[in-house]
Order: sequence, then structure tokens, then C-alpha cells
Amino acid sequence: MTRIIRSFMAALRYRDYKPRPLTWLAAKRWVMQFEKNDRRLAERLLDKVIYISESRAREILVQQNAALMKRLVAAGLRPKQFIYVSVHDAGSSSPVMLNLLRDAAGLEKMGCRFVDAHDSMRLIKTMNEVGEGALIYVDDFLGTGNQLCGERDFVANIMVGTFSEFVLAPSICEEAIYEISRRGLEAFTGHVHSKAERPLHENSPLFLQGEKDRMELICKGINRVGPLGYKRLATMVVLYRNAPNTVPAILRGSQNQTPIRGIFPRSTDLPVPRVI
Amino acid sequence: MPSLNPTKPEVPQLIPAGVLLQLSIDEVKPSFNNPRHLFDADQLDELKKNIAEHGVLVPIVVYQAKGQSKFSILDGERRFRCVRDLVGEGRTGKGGEPLKLPANVVEPPTKIAGLLYMFNIHNYREGWELMPTALSLKIVMQDLGTEDNKALAKLTGLSDAQIERCKKLLKFPEEFQELSLDPDPKTRIPSNFWIEALPVIDLAMGTSETIRRMGRDLATGKLVEKYREKKIKSVIHFRRIMESYEINQDDLPAREKVLRRVEEFFLKPNLETRDAFDEFVVDKRRVLSALAACDGFLTELQRFRLMYTSNDEERKNLQIALRRVQDYCESLWNALEGRDDPEAQQDRQ
Repeated sequence: MTRIIRSFMAALRYRDYKPRPLTWLAAKRWVMQFEKNDRRLAERLLDKVIYISESRAREILVQQNAALMKRLVAAGLRPKQFIYVSVHDAGSSSPVMLNLLRDAAGLEKMGCRFVDAHDSMRLIKTMNEVGEGALIYVDDFLGTGNQLCGERDFVANIMVGTFSEFVLAPSICEEAIYEISRRGLEAFTGHVHSKAERPLHENSPLFLQGEKDRMELICKGINRVGPLGYKRLATMVVLYRNAPNTVPAILRGSQNQTPIRGIFPRSTDLPVPRVI
Repeated sequence: MPSLNPTKPEVPQLIPAGVLLQLSIDEVKPSFNNPRHLFDADQLDELKKNIAEHGVLVPIVVYQAKGQSKFSILDGERRFRCVRDLVGEGRTGKGGEPLKLPANVVEPPTKIAGLLYMFNIHNYREGWELMPTALSLKIVMQDLGTEDNKALAKLTGLSDAQIERCKKLLKFPEEFQELSLDPDPKTRIPSNFWIEALPVIDLAMGTSETIRRMGRDLATGKLVEKYREKKIKSVIHFRRIMESYEINQDDLPAREKVLRRVEEFFLKPNLETRDAFDEFVVDKRRVLSALAACDGFLTELQRFRLMYTSNDEERKNLQIALRRVQDYCESLWNALEGRDDPEAQQDRQ
């Protein structure tokens, strides 16, 4: 009975997960596929997921952006001098977050500018036009921060004018905070994801060592290469649009969801639907 | 737009804000151009030892961009790195206080001053693409209203040759320039591609009616496709095309053939550079090298004034050596006359 209630609660919490919306039956099936002794552990892990729904992501972005704008305006800059930069390919999370923010905060009306970091020529032209202002890199989640920092380092090499630089994201791992700080960028985020919040991370006290080892073994059975996610970050933040590649494999499931189904499969983990 | 006198450029200077601060490492933002290639590790170690012993004696120069809490470095990246390393190693000042960086705070640089600073960084970088420099140079030329190489060299620290190369890059439309700004080095077209391709495109546009009708951009696009398909294996191979043309300047039929091949090269996607042009270059280059070697040989021999050699044994050795040269030259002469007789040559040996 408790399991069914928990499944209902999970379905309620994670119902708008885009790659595959969660039903109570799917939540129950996810738990039941593990051995009896592991089910309670899997449920405890699921309880530690920090889920960021679309409305929450929007709320954080708008709120953090307002705080950033306030500071920039106080420093003498006008919205026309704010360049919002999406850092990944079209269709990925960064431009989606930027669009979400743009519409919710009415940035376009204010005269802010929007550029894709890959569109170097447009970026150079925009920076040249603006001359002095702020570059605001927008993303959904930063794990190691390597990807964003790589993009930013390229932008830095073509920078024209004087710009302060900021990162705006609903959630950022402490590892990424360190990376971006090293470059002198400032983060505006609703949540800094500490290692302590991640039950399977080696620095977290949430699970006993034996429990961590057991979970890692299960994860290895699902994904031998990256059982605890990219760079063993074992993050627990899941965004409505997609789970980051830094979450433990038990949450994502096997490739094509066979033999182990995930509760938060990434869109690339799902089998390709047959269209013909 | 400010006017520019090449001898006295009107460049906005950094404006001191008149403040000397003691900054902790966390308050400083490294230079936005990643200058890791700039620093010699040994020199950096030496500076670090010095700073560990005496502290930072010369203040770094920083500015605070609007809205930014940290101070950006304009001058003193090496000192900053050393202090950052020392702090990372747990070093403190003599009194046990945290290590600090003395910093002169100046007003944020104007766009042009910032660009000129960036040029200086790029001048010392290794392996950096020229296209961003070219685009920055374009902004400088537009804002300061000059295209004069001497003035630009004085402002930017770029050499005359570098400025010329940048100007070549700027001759290409933006859609092509963008290909050299691709963040992914695997798909990026190197800036040198355009510099090497430019004379070939000019040649084709100037000599082939078909290529002219095709238009410059389409013709350039064809070369980009070829490069992506590895039919131009190295940008240096463009030189082979120009060499084929120039080396045959006194041989009109050969030159006509080269021009037809240039046209084909643009039109046939699978035609590889070396396959297309080696035949015009390799033979010709061998002969030209041999001619140069003959001239050199004679000049050297004359310079030695060998006819005055008095030592009998040395004279004999010299005569043997000259005979060998003579024999080889005769056999070569016969071969070139079509009177080659391998057996006779063997007899002599």
C-alpha cells in the first residue's frame, strides 16, 4: 500500500517530465524491477531528486534575472546593453531556457539582445554595436561547467568592447561554480547543487557507504562506462526538459530502456519511435 | 569619427581612476583572452619565487566593468597567476596575513583601447586563428577611419605582413569569414585557407569565362567544398596551382594547359590539387633546381681559383674529381641529346 502511495506521489511530482511523462504505474514498475532488498534504497534515492518543473525553472530564471538587471541598471547600464547568450546548439536546453526567460520577462520589449554563442559573427557585430555592457550566458543546469566554460572561452577570444559576464541558470553544481568563478564570471542561480545533496557522491553523508556501494553496483549493471553520470558527479537535479547526463544510471535506465527502465530517461535514452 | 595621423594616432588612452587597492585573488578576474600560451613556465617559476620572498612590488592594472563585482586585469596577468598559485599552496604574507595584490584601478577601457590591448595579446599567442584579429582590425579601421598599414601597425603592434594578411581575409564575404570562427576546430576552416586561396580565385576569375559566370562566391564555395571533402589536403597546396601558372610564364602552350586545369579544378569536385597540378610543377622545378645548381657550382669553382694549386698530390685529386664531373656531365648531355647509351656509360665507370 505504501508503495502505491509513493508511486502516486512520484507521478504527481514528476508528471511534466518531457522525455517521458511519469505515471504512477511507471513509477511503481521502476521500483519493482529491482531486487526486493534494493527497492527501499531506490525509493530513498528517488526522494532525494531535486525536480525543477517548467514553472519553477521559469520562476527562478525571472527572479534571478530581475536581481541581475537591478544590479546592472544600478551600475549605469541599460537593457539595450544586455546581451543574452545561449551556449549550445539549437534545440538544446540553453536556447530553450533563454526563450523561456525572454518571453516571461519581456526582455525583447526592453531592447535586450539575444545571440547564439556559435554565431560568432553576429556576436562580434552585436558586441561592436553595444561597446559596453553585460554578457549573460543562459543555461538550464551546469554540472562540471566545462561545456559552458569552453563556449565562453571561445567567446572571450572574439570579445569586442568592455563587458561584465554572468551565468544565469536554474541550478548549478558547486563544481561548476568553482570553474566559472575561476574565470571571473558570476553566477545567478536559484540553487547551488552541493555534493552533500547527492546520496551517491563520495562526499555525501546521506547514504551509508554500504548503501552507496550497492547502488553503484546496480548503476554499473546499467551503464558500465558512467554508472554515476558524467565525471561521477552523481547529481540529483532533474529538469522538466531532460535529465542531465550527470545523474546516476539508475535514474536514466538502460539505453533504449532495455533491460532496465529509467524513471527519468534522457531523450537520447529512449528508443526511436517507428514512424513508418 | 576621429581623424588619424599615422605619426600621431589619436587613440583613447586608459584613464587612471587614481585608486590603489590591495585585492585578494577572489576579487580579480583573469584577462578574458586566455593567455596560457603567453607564459614561459621557467620565467613564471622565477617570478613566483620572487613574489613569495618579496611580495608583489609593482601593482597590477585593473578596471571594473559596469555591474561586475570583480576587477578585470589589464596588465599583470603573470603576477596574478603567481599569487593565485601561492595562495593555492597555502602561502601567506610575512605577518601571516593573506597574500594580496596591489592594484592600480583605471577606468574601463573604451572599445578601441580594449581592442588594441587584445591585439597585443594575440601577437604573443600561438596557434590562434587570424580571423578574429582581422575582424577586430576591421573595427579599428572603421572607427579610426584609416586603412594605412603604417598607422595600423603602430597602433596594433601587428607587422605589415600580418596586416596585409588580415586585409586579405576581410576581402571575403562574411558568410565565408564565419567559417573561420567556428568554435569547433574540427569543422573550422583555417584562416590560412582564405589567404592561400585568394590568388587562385583571382586567377580563375581573371582568366576563365566559365568561372566568371559562376561568380566569385560560388567559385569560393567550390573550394570550400573541396577542402571539406579532403580534395585539397593542405592549404599550402594552393601554392602549387600558382606555381604551375608562374613557372610556365615563358611557355604559352603549357600555361594555357594550366589555365584549363584551373578551370577544371573548380568544376570537378573530385579533382585533387596534387593530381591536377603536380605534372606542371615537378619536372619544371627539377630543371630549375638543376640550372641553379650549375650556376652555383661554377661560381664556387671560380671563387676557389684552383688553377694556382701547387701541391702535386692535391692537383691530382682535383683532376680526378673534375674528370668524374666531366664524365657525368657528358653522359647527361648525351642523354639530353637523345644519344643515351647506358652500356657505354657503364664501360666508363
